Amino acid sequence: MQNYDKTTKPLVSVLMPTFNRPKYLSQALASALNQTYSNLQTIVVNDGGQDITDIINAANDPRIFFINRKENRGKAFSLNQALTQAEGKYIAYLDDDDLYYPNHIELLVNALENNPHCGAAYSDLYKTYCRILPDGTREILSKIVEVSRDFDRYFMLYYNHVLHVSLMHRKDLLEKTGPYNENLSILIDWDMTRKLVFFTDFYHIPDITGEFYTSIGQSDRISYQQRKDKQNYAKNVLTIRTTRPPKPWPKIKDLAIIFISERFDQQAAKTIGRIWRYTFHPYKIYLPVIPEDIAKIKTDMPNLIFVPVAPSAGHAHKIDAALMQTDAEFIAIVPSGFPIEQMWLEDQLYALLNSSDQMHAIEFDSANDRLFAAIFKKEHLYYARNNFNHLPFRQSISAAGIRLQKLLPEQVPFKFDILFEQATKEYKNGNWPLAAEIYRHIADNYKNRLWMQSLAANALFRAGRYQKAAELCRQINQSRPTVDTLLLEAKLKKKQKEYLSAVELLENAKSILEGKNLVWI
Amino acid sequence: MDITKSKKEQAEENNTTQHYEILKELGDCFTAVGNYDSAQSCYEKAAPLAPDEAAPYIGLGVIATQKAQLEDAEIAFKVAVRLDNKSSKAYAGLAMVAQQKGDYKRAFDMYLKSLEFDPDSLTALLGLFQTSCQMGSFEKVIHYLEVYLDMHPADTYVMFTLAALYMKDNRPEKSKELLANILSLDPEHKDAANLLEEVERSIVQKSQKQ
Repeated sequence: MQNYDKTTKPLVSVLMPTFNRPKYLSQALASALNQTYSNLQTIVVNDGGQDITDIINAANDPRIFFINRKENRGKAFSLNQALTQAEGKYIAYLDDDDLYYPNHIELLVNALENNPHCGAAYSDLYKTYCRILPDGTREILSKIVEVSRDFDRYFMLYYNHVLHVSLMHRKDLLEKTGPYNENLSILIDWDMTRKLVFFTDFYHIPDITGEFYTSIGQSDRISYQQRKDKQNYAKNVLTIRTTRPPKPWPKIKDLAIIFISERFDQQAAKTIGRIWRYTFHPYKIYLPVIPEDIAKIKTDMPNLIFVPVAPSAGHAHKIDAALMQTDAEFIAIVPSGFPIEQMWLEDQLYALLNSSDQMHAIEFDSANDRLFAAIFKKEHLYYARNNFNHLPFRQSISAAGIRLQKLLPEQVPFKFDILFEQATKEYKNGNWPLAAEIYRHIADNYKNRLWMQSLAANALFRAGRYQKAAELCRQINQSRPTVDTLLLEAKLKKKQKEYLSAVELLENAKSILEGKNLVWI
Repeated sequence: MDITKSKKEQAEENNTTQHYEILKELGDCFTAVGNYDSAQSCYEKAAPLAPDEAAPYIGLGVIATQKAQLEDAEIAFKVAVRLDNKSSKAYAGLAMVAQQKGDYKRAFDMYLKSLEFDPDSLTALLGLFQTSCQMGSFEKVIHYLEVYLDMHPADTYVMFTLAALYMKDNRPEKSKELLANILSLDPEHKDAANLLEEVERSIVQKSQKQ
């Protein structure tokens, strides 16, 4: 990657909330300050924890801005408070027990300055497993690159694949996303990255530029403790998935689900509940019902829009009434009682999003004549209803020339995830040659190259295909050596009785593991 | 699609053993090139990182054996057996120590134990052969060599050893058959050709006596 014009170095604000972890804070802070990129502002927020003034004073760096709050208000509040002081063009994050490598900020700034279409960039991190010794120090056991996933906007709506400590984004994007959600007790980082994908692309740098720590046994992480409460976890996930930042959304197409029901009865409530639980693409549900029912419905369900219709309104009229109210780009028609499960809608939606077919709509897999359900591009549906509204709904679709079809195998989205799941299953079942083949196929066809190659090398080793594993390991270690891949290549060298080469690789792995690359330790 | 679960499970499979593995592998490599001091240091650091693993103690035992520190070696192998009472290598280590101390009976028993847990162990097999020679008893070792050859039918090294044992046990026909097999696999095997000549002479002499 080329360096940008260094005469106009943009300022980076590093946000560091901390709560009762003074033991590790000084090291984390040192890692933020000892960067190859120096135009930094590091904002440390004590979230009502024990006094850390000595640590801040000992760092003795004018680039630190210290907010010493006595009251514990949580991480989201702390980040929002830090943001009020952030003057940087870019925002970066560091937890009080994690570490940046010295090139972390420089790499991310370079990526953002060289790729202006990306408002956010992220790198890879080692997940560092450690054992806490009686004196509180951390004994390092392993450093694993657990996730090294290239940016996938739609997957991000489903699950967070960007570690917050590895993230840097333009500060001005927060004017669109809004601040951190202080009503969430966990997953506040995903809530923010999810909101960011509505407005910008992310740039993935598959270099390892830091570490986050997890202790074996009982984790001391607050988020870990709170995730154990399944009900609370589910509540937070649902809140995040139903969050809709203010429009316009340049990167996400909106979806309206028009829910068709004779009356708002128990079955309708149950179906809507399942839509709420399983849908991760941003949506609003439009519910055409008689005014009498609207008065009876008591719900705090988000994104539910009541559309009053006359008691005599038929199926097509209800759809027309809802269509009048929505500005969404995609429209799903779903009847009460329709089976809703994981990925029930997104498979069809993303297939349609990727389709270049001009007059084309997709019928849901479980749909039939009694329970008709399909997804349309808004303009197609408008055309059909505006021009053929004298016809029953399905006939108007045909009359408009909209080709309604079920999802074809080649249209199924998330192919990476489907293949990855399959390879992982084969690996776990001991079918290593097949697992290796699938991982290599993914690496060649579905991005995420280094990550998949590493998994393939490991599977080849397990399969006893040492020569192929050695070739692959050598390739990986030439571009991005990790502790895991160095260890694997060393084992292969040992099998070939090349002991001195193995020692060299192992010493390299050992020095990463022992943090000898961290200059301030 | 539940990719989150599979990812987590995969991570858990190998998430805490790297430091231990690196030190253990380093120990093995240093041992292989004769750098025993470095190897020892690695095994000593590896042991507390994985307190339930026998491998570092086996490594320490091997080094002590190489340095002729037989008492230390025995202690290390005993610790290894305590941590893993099915460790073929630990029993082979105890056998080697006993053999070097001249306790052939114990060495023989420990090699047998080692083979019980790893019938593939060439170290144990050849150790058994050596102690058999030292004790002058071949019956059991012949059985184990036969079992080994059932699994590794093309191992000419063990085939030759067994052929020699058959000769010593006064079974020249079995020896001849095995030597012919070796030569069909490796026509250049001079030792096999020489022994075959001797065996054939012995068969002729035997038939003349009868």
